[in-house]
Amino acid sequence: MFFVGSFFLFATFLITTCIFVIFSKNPVNSVLFLVLAFLNSTFLFILIGAEFVGIILAIVYIGAVAILFLFVVMMLDIQRTTLMSNIKRYVPIALLFAGIILTEIIYLTIYKSSKSNPNIITRSKNNTEQIGDVLYTKYFIDFQLSGIVLLLAMIGAIVLTHIYRPTIRRQNIDKQNSTTATDRVKLVKVNSGQGIEND
Amino acid sequence: MTSLSYNHFFTLSLVIFIIGCFGLFLNRRNMILILMCIEIILLAANINFVSASVFLNDINGQVFSIFILTIAAAEAAIGLAILVVYFRNKGEIDITQINQLKD
Repeated sequence: MFFVGSFFLFATFLITTCIFVIFSKNPVNSVLFLVLAFLNSTFLFILIGAEFVGIILAIVYIGAVAILFLFVVMMLDIQRTTLMSNIKRYVPIALLFAGIILTEIIYLTIYKSSKSNPNIITRSKNNTEQIGDVLYTKYFIDFQLSGIVLLLAMIGAIVLTHIYRPTIRRQNIDKQNSTTATDRVKLVKVNSGQGIEND
Repeated sequence: MTSLSYNHFFTLSLVIFIIGCFGLFLNRRNMILILMCIEIILLAANINFVSASVFLNDINGQVFSIFILTIAAAEAAIGLAILVVYFRNKGEIDITQINQLKD
């Protein structure tokens, strides 16, 4: 009873926050509701025993992606009145596409799905250990490739947003390394009372 | 243990997926909201993968959920970078104005 009650609590909250993400006028509110939605799905994952994915979801989505969204939303100066204008034009086509997808999935669910309904089975190993067993053996190549995907995304984001300013003086490492001490320092003999000439 | 079944989670992920698609078609003006709707759709896919993995007692679904998370993070980073560049060039993020490739 506890599990069913918690499920319905979190699921209702999740659906409500997702609706608020779409319909809020201010993009900052949308991002904060998105954080709440991810937090609720984390609770759901922990509820059914997928602790590792739940915590990873919280770390990646709330800690990285949502904060990235928040930074971008705060960085861009958007007039919020222009964003949601003539929203009524798109309601019919949005309802149409949502209805089509809903009908397709309900059709597939009713006519194509199997009736078997296995329950949660208690396991000998914990969740993280099970994931680690396959992630570094069976899915080793995929794991490395996802690292490469992240590297490419990082390089791509930096290259896209980087602004090259030619007026800024930069460090030139080749030039630094090729200088010798005689280019910079000159030893002179200073006679008393005369000083040196500046050249 | 419980009377929770896979159908509960499947219905939940279906509803979230539909909300994401609805928002994708609804917010034609705001590029940030479109990216957020894509995140919602990926979250629905994740819920489906993880709950199927738990109820079928097969760990591979959760591993794929981690890969989906990776791709979603990369996609968000690239999408927001494109958004920032676009805003810097045009001063707005209205996607109905993206028709510069026509010229």
